[in-house]
Amino acid sequence: MRPFTYTRVDDVATASAAVTTDAVARAVQGPGDTAFIAGGTTQLDLMRDGVWSPDALVDISRLPLNDVELDDGVLVVGASVTMADLARHPEVVRCAVLRDSLLLAASPQLRTMATIGGNVLQRTRCRYYRDPTVTQCNKREPGSGCAAVEGTARTHAVLGVDAGCIALHASDLAVALVALDAQVRLHGPGGRRTIPVTDLHVRADDDPSRDNVLGVGELITHLEIPVPDARSGYLKVRDRASYEFALTSAAVVARVEDGVLAHVGIGLGGVGSVPWRARRAEEVLRGQRASMALFEEAAAAELADAFTVTGTDFKPELARRTLVRQLRDVTEVTA
Amino acid sequence: MTTTTAAPTTGVPVIGAGVTRVDGPLKVTGAVPYADDLAPRDALVGVLVGATITSGRVELVDTTDALAAPGVVAVLSHHDAPRVVRPDEASSDERAPLPPFQDAVVRFRGDYVAMVVAQTREEALHAADLLHVTYDVDEPVVDINDPRADREDDDPAGADSVRGDLERGLAEAEVEVGADYVTGDNTNNPIGLFAASAEWDGDALHMWATTQWPFNVADCLAEAWGIPREDVRVECPYLGGGFGSGLRPWPYIHAAAMAAKVVDRPVRVVLSRPQMFTGVGHRPETVQRVRLGARRDGTLTAVEHTATIPVAVDDDNPENVVSGTRQGYAVEHLRADVDQVRLHISPPGSMRAPGEAQGNFALETALDELAVELGIDPVELRLRNEAVTNPDQDDLPWSSKALDECLRRGAELIGWDERDPSPRATREGDQLIGYGMAAVSFFYFQEPCTVRVVVRRDGSAAVHCAAMDIGTGTYTIVTQVAAERLGLEVGDVEVVLGDSSLPASPPAGGSGLATAISNAVALATSAVLADLQLSGAPGREALARAVGDRDKVTAEATADKPDPAELGMSPSGAFGAKFAKVRVDADLGLVRVERLVSVIDCGQVLNERTARSQVVGGTVGGIGHALLEHTVTDLHAGPQTGRITNAHLADYLMAVNADVPDLEVEFVGGPDRLNPVGVKGVGEVGLCGVAAAIGNAVFNATGRRIRRLPITPDLLL
Repeated sequence: MRPFTYTRVDDVATASAAVTTDAVARAVQGPGDTAFIAGGTTQLDLMRDGVWSPDALVDISRLPLNDVELDDGVLVVGASVTMADLARHPEVVRCAVLRDSLLLAASPQLRTMATIGGNVLQRTRCRYYRDPTVTQCNKREPGSGCAAVEGTARTHAVLGVDAGCIALHASDLAVALVALDAQVRLHGPGGRRTIPVTDLHVRADDDPSRDNVLGVGELITHLEIPVPDARSGYLKVRDRASYEFALTSAAVVARVEDGVLAHVGIGLGGVGSVPWRARRAEEVLRGQRASMALFEEAAAAELADAFTVTGTDFKPELARRTLVRQLRDVTEVTA
Repeated sequence: MTTTTAAPTTGVPVIGAGVTRVDGPLKVTGAVPYADDLAPRDALVGVLVGATITSGRVELVDTTDALAAPGVVAVLSHHDAPRVVRPDEASSDERAPLPPFQDAVVRFRGDYVAMVVAQTREEALHAADLLHVTYDVDEPVVDINDPRADREDDDPAGADSVRGDLERGLAEAEVEVGADYVTGDNTNNPIGLFAASAEWDGDALHMWATTQWPFNVADCLAEAWGIPREDVRVECPYLGGGFGSGLRPWPYIHAAAMAAKVVDRPVRVVLSRPQMFTGVGHRPETVQRVRLGARRDGTLTAVEHTATIPVAVDDDNPENVVSGTRQGYAVEHLRADVDQVRLHISPPGSMRAPGEAQGNFALETALDELAVELGIDPVELRLRNEAVTNPDQDDLPWSSKALDECLRRGAELIGWDERDPSPRATREGDQLIGYGMAAVSFFYFQEPCTVRVVVRRDGSAAVHCAAMDIGTGTYTIVTQVAAERLGLEVGDVEVVLGDSSLPASPPAGGSGLATAISNAVALATSAVLADLQLSGAPGREALARAVGDRDKVTAEATADKPDPAELGMSPSGAFGAKFAKVRVDADLGLVRVERLVSVIDCGQVLNERTARSQVVGGTVGGIGHALLEHTVTDLHAGPQTGRITNAHLADYLMAVNADVPDLEVEFVGGPDRLNPVGVKGVGEVGLCGVAAAIGNAVFNATGRRIRRLPITPDLLL
């Protein structure tokens, strides 16, 4: 771990001005970089592992971004709200997909430290990326190749990836957010903007060396989560019953009217280089009469173009089954 | 039946009762002095640097930038580190692990190539990044199935055995089953990171090091440095978990001693979590083959069990995968054989139930397959083939054995009769329900142990021994045995352990310490009572009177390893039966254990609370072994070959509370005849058999036979 400086800031404008590189968006932070730190559950791990070595950290955990408010059917969540606190909010408790994506993530200790803004920006768990002694990593060193593709890759992604990088985005919450059509509010030196969560992350098959679209000095201030007028649920499949990332997961938001899927939003976890919005599956389902056969068709469509390697070849099938199960359970259509 | 009664020869009934841990208050208040807590406060900090190649030679460790970094005092490498002798393990003539920095050879990825010594850990870590190490790279061999690897079939573990005539046994069989079984590497992963601190006073060495065997570490250090044994002292009063990883004098201990010598100041080394995966041993993977021949009535006619295990370059690790098979069942014709394959991997070592855990999975799964083939109940199959005498030791009668009672009681507890033996027959919603079981015949291990008992003028007593309490309750059981024999209250006995300057002890391993030390305590208390001309359990007043004007009266005694031939019986280890009920998601392949029943014969239970805790802890490890734990090594040809890809607690999955149901434990049987206290070790029998019981339950639930550990959802899709 290289020596670094640490400063704490109390307002958003100062925070934004303090970070003068695009380190927050890059997969690597190195000499010359300044980066934000909030809960630190990703940032410190990566610094300890020797993957990141910024010169300076700007602590944004004291920014006044700690509120959760319901504004005209939209839950507005400050970026500094912890996962634990958000999971306790009455609106979240009522929204199964949001609640369970939070409570099935990490451990109580980590959820108490980790913030919402940091959660959606969390970096891949790829152990090839997270070990600087691995020389082939297109995330850390563009053009160097990908050791995971031919290595041990059971926990890697099969969607939004190619042979250049199969790193997984492992957030549970972000999977629920894409199913809910949530947006992020950003603050940067150039002003504010609001973008859908589905536009926040960069797919590995587009550019593995960039993890998100944040500009220089830009940070997330809030999440906007529309409270759905629909049933929802989050199913997480993993080897260990708790405290583990998903092998596969499915966030489903759906409303069935007279047997027909009037509304459907789907996110898939454990499979994508980004929190995976299952648009193809949604397309198959939307406006159609709900049935197990239709669910199977939708799930098959979503995973049709999966890119697998030895070790991840089971994932498309498990992801299909996970999605079908969750569509069945949320809609209560079993035939 | 639960054996909570004291042996008839004893006085106050302290033994058997659930006396609370005497070190409990220290543990729960955080006041326990672990080895690293005892390091001199002015110690410099050493950070070890591992090789980033898997095989080859270090050309140069360029220290220029590192030495210029703030706080750095020294860098050790093979260029200039002190030269020491490679010692032998105290218990055998096996080679202890190689001391570091003695040559330029890189034998595995993570092999130490240097150590930075600095004022603070942060400074040492920073400087470690500034080392420039260049290598001459060789092509490593890391895959157990690689035909290029050196295969050694010279029976280093004494595991091989031939009984009768296997071919004849197979010819007599009416039914034969046979299959290959694979178990993955596991890593012990105690939560307490291993640490060693060293301080030299001239040529005398004082160390505080994480170990399960301080006496052996001191022996090895004396041999390594060529200094008198009495000039070496190793202290480790408490351990933050070991599970076998503290049994050997690992290289980091030597590194601390070398650094302290070089800088002439105390030096303290704490391993990182990734270093805990390569630096303190692990349970090696196995490739096994089992063939069973039987008559239609279930009588076994032949058993063949062969195994291949990996060992590291220039290292020994006897992993007796077939010992449970050799003594498990009454079968006339048997062949057991273990081969080693030498690979560029970090040295394997012992991990709770080493060899036994992997071997039991293969044998007890194969028996389940045979039961299915024969249409005989799996419990009945084991009862029919019970080894009433030890077939592996001249058919001598066992010193104690209640395996039949374990099997019957376990079946009763889990409701075995309600199980539908047809696979995939019981379903609740999405969940397939299954039951499975396995039996365990754990090996016997005992080494000599010496104990000193001191009776003080006030009639209170102290017990001294170099042995370790690795969290199992040794402090407590020693207190109990001494209190009972002397007629004292538990609070009147002080127990001092974990210091190599105390009387010699065997390792806290092999499920052998409780037997060794409790009998040594019994002998030493008898000796001190004889000196005091007292008998029975005299109590504090009588003891005080007998000591009289003296400060104290001291006696030492050694419990030796019994001679089976002389005694006319075969020493028994623990026996056990494990019964599992699992739920498997029919679509998603998720296996969740709903019930796990362990019925154990461990002879006289010294402390039902700590014994139960041993079985519970072992069972949790067994669930991990069955379903979760897997140290994954990159086998793909290329620069990453031989790198462990999940050397991290977030990626190496151990069972958490949500994976563990309420565990049911019962003890059956009675005191063992071999030793006066009647005890048999219970440290490892808890883990053994769990994987097979779960795997057999998965088969009963799903109809899928998984012959590979861990059993993960992708194998069940």
